[in-house]
Amino acid sequence: MPWCLIDGKNVEFSDGATIIEAAGSAGIFIPHFCYHPGLGAPAQCRMCVVEVEGRTKLQTACSTPACEGMIVKTGSERVKQVQKSTMEFLLINHPLDCAICDKSGECMLQDNSYHYGDATMRTVEERRTYADLEMGPVIKKNMNRCIHCTRCIRFGEKVAGIAEMAAFGRGGSTEIATLDGAELKTPYAGNYSDICPTGALTLKDFRFKKRSWLLTKTAAVCEGCSRGCAIEVHHADGVVYRQVARENLRINRYWICDEGRFLYRYLGDPERVRQPLVSGNISDWVSAAGVAREMFNGGRVMVLAGEDLTLEEAKELLDFVRPAGAGIFRFGTPQVCAARDDGDEDMILRRKSKTSNLHGLQQLGISAFDGRPSGTVLVVRGGRAVIPDLGGCKVIGAGVFQGGETTDFEAVLPGRAFLEKGGSIVNCDGIEQRGVSVVPGPAEAKGLGDILRLLGRGGD
Amino acid sequence: MYIAGGETLFVQHLGITGARTLDYFKKHMTGYRAAQKAAGMTTEAIIDEVKRSWLRGRGGAGFPTGTKWSFVPKTTAQKYLVCNADESEPGTFKDRAIIRNMPHMLVEGMIIAARAIGASRGYIYIRGEYEEEAGILEEALKEARDAGQLGKVDIFVHRGAGAYICGEETGLLNSLEGLRGEPRDKPPFPAVKGAFDGPTVVNNVETLACIPSIIMNGGAWFAGLGRIEKSGGTRLVGVSGQVNRPGLYEIPAGGATIREIIYDICGGIADDRQLRAVIPGGSSTPPLSADEIDVVYDIEPLACAGSMLGSAAMIVVSEDYCLVRLLERIVLFYERESCGQCTPCREGVAWARKILSRIERGTGTDRDISLLLSVADSINGKALCALGDAAALPIMGFVKKFRADFEAHVRGGRCPGA
Repeated sequence: MPWCLIDGKNVEFSDGATIIEAAGSAGIFIPHFCYHPGLGAPAQCRMCVVEVEGRTKLQTACSTPACEGMIVKTGSERVKQVQKSTMEFLLINHPLDCAICDKSGECMLQDNSYHYGDATMRTVEERRTYADLEMGPVIKKNMNRCIHCTRCIRFGEKVAGIAEMAAFGRGGSTEIATLDGAELKTPYAGNYSDICPTGALTLKDFRFKKRSWLLTKTAAVCEGCSRGCAIEVHHADGVVYRQVARENLRINRYWICDEGRFLYRYLGDPERVRQPLVSGNISDWVSAAGVAREMFNGGRVMVLAGEDLTLEEAKELLDFVRPAGAGIFRFGTPQVCAARDDGDEDMILRRKSKTSNLHGLQQLGISAFDGRPSGTVLVVRGGRAVIPDLGGCKVIGAGVFQGGETTDFEAVLPGRAFLEKGGSIVNCDGIEQRGVSVVPGPAEAKGLGDILRLLGRGGD
Repeated sequence: MYIAGGETLFVQHLGITGARTLDYFKKHMTGYRAAQKAAGMTTEAIIDEVKRSWLRGRGGAGFPTGTKWSFVPKTTAQKYLVCNADESEPGTFKDRAIIRNMPHMLVEGMIIAARAIGASRGYIYIRGEYEEEAGILEEALKEARDAGQLGKVDIFVHRGAGAYICGEETGLLNSLEGLRGEPRDKPPFPAVKGAFDGPTVVNNVETLACIPSIIMNGGAWFAGLGRIEKSGGTRLVGVSGQVNRPGLYEIPAGGATIREIIYDICGGIADDRQLRAVIPGGSSTPPLSADEIDVVYDIEPLACAGSMLGSAAMIVVSEDYCLVRLLERIVLFYERESCGQCTPCREGVAWARKILSRIERGTGTDRDISLLLSVADSINGKALCALGDAAALPIMGFVKKFRADFEAHVRGGRCPGA
């Protein structure tokens, strides 16, 4: 591999790598705004300049290819001076409203200003202001905070496949807006907020809910469809506040869809069944488990396993059900009965199977439910799988349900959702990923193992 | 329009009725005979001839044209020749004269250039305000096409929409492709990846119009028209400002000093006033003071004098004009014309203009003068394209050479002499 010298450190890089990429691979951070690994390097913000020996002008690290033997300095006096003036330029018109800005604490402008800017300001001029623009339900725009990095424009063009954002006007009065002031159309709009280096594009869903530094950030896997995108769950005190995309070059690169992003809402849905139910009424574990056990052991039983269960849960269920001689089938997304039915829903990430573990459950040899229920039915479900029509059967529910789904159920035993329990799922490409338990879940919810033990044992 | 000694290529055809017709072109100019001659030459021979001519780009940067052509890779990729007719630098009006009076000379130059670089398509990107000139070019192209002169090269006229930045060659290419008129990060340079990602040469109107006579008479002849080393041919000089006879002149390259141009050719300063400053090559070039005008008016002598020849658009400023106000007006132009994509130009130029306006109005402070210089320094050489420098260099030049004027504005709220 070719090598270069960055800040005195010998750095190997692959052919075609830019200086910023080479430096990054060696753990050397070069401040930047417009560059994003998934959106290219237009070299517009000029923050990433470095000194390259033998070249008179400072070079933009994002767009300059690393060369064999190149000697790069990322923190020379000249570089520092330009970084300082770039920060000064960017802050001439940026409002000092960090105190009420949702980006605060995770803002590239704030961080770079702190590390590379000057503590004093030389401007006395009035700041530039723009009128607000409504951009639909996902994103709130505040153009006054924009630093014209054009990441959002490039995201639309290069990733979302819909050029809905553009630069209007020119020079200092350039405005970034949607074409014709339309609302954002892409089902990936949440990413605009993830990539915005300032608080110009914030997530309406998250605004004013929590300061970013009060959030614990846990790596997780999205259970919204069979893609299994890498996400980061931001939570505090057992409550999930938002989900953002996490880089995984094999699966979702840097992006997630809005459906997945906002999926966490069902965890805290007021309609969620959080306590054991008997005939639709709030009960306790002793009574509800008693009713369920009696039904389960009282005759022919069919078990329906949601494709939103983890591999571990599915195996536990198989071990429980098979000795009892009950039939077990899986269910998930209508019309997507098997891996062969599961295809891309768009050209980006979303899959047809809206449950996370169709491929895993199929691999375990569990057959798809054929739509003909019989006897007593035990529905075990993680929260996403669409409950099929169970016609006049007596039904026990175990797992995560919303109130309206269980009106006809004899008993409901509340379980934990994916982010509350963790476990492994297999995505559409056969990649097995393990999620961890991020939040504890409702106090009365139990893990599937505990529920099955209650069903099997003779009374507690 | 005046001629200043020696042989001329252009000015003799100015103001002649019918000069723009194919008929006149055949009778009094190269008449597509140069293109026919070039058709019998190898591409290398054409490029060598142009290299020998020491023709240097007339758009502003002064890069040797033959060398530029030789950068185009010898691949089978679709290549493009683009004529930059976006003439937008304040003070410049030479290309318009060529287009209006001798459009066929440009077309013939393009045919030869296209052959030299292996391009089968040519575009003339003409500024939107040159509406009539675009029509003249269309007419000339039609005449040439009907007469079978274009051969295998197809040339299109593409009208801009009125942005200065589209005169920057990569901004021009973006605009030509239908994209937002924003310069591209370089490298890659257009010779490698230009219009529609193909190898592209972008040449100025005057540059291309020189080509037929180089091919007809030889590179050595053209080089000999110049009076200094490394600069061939003649130069169209547009003189504006407070001289007695402003206008378009043609001089041998390096054939006159600024003093000679002002006092001998243009009849001196109007109303017998004193000369204060000269902006030698369009509004983006640093000014020279009255005691610096004995410099030979060409690329290298002006570079040595700390300025630039640019597009040879000389703006002459007499003593009765406020230099602070003039600089403010220049910087306002670049503020408005900044495309806005890169930070130093978008934010810095606007800031500099605001500081300048304060100084001009008399509400500035001493600190503002050093702040202005510091802001200009933060822009200079740090922007994505040369537009940032175009604003920063005049600021640095004016403040350095005429600092007393700025101080007088700050302290007394007005010009020293006013």
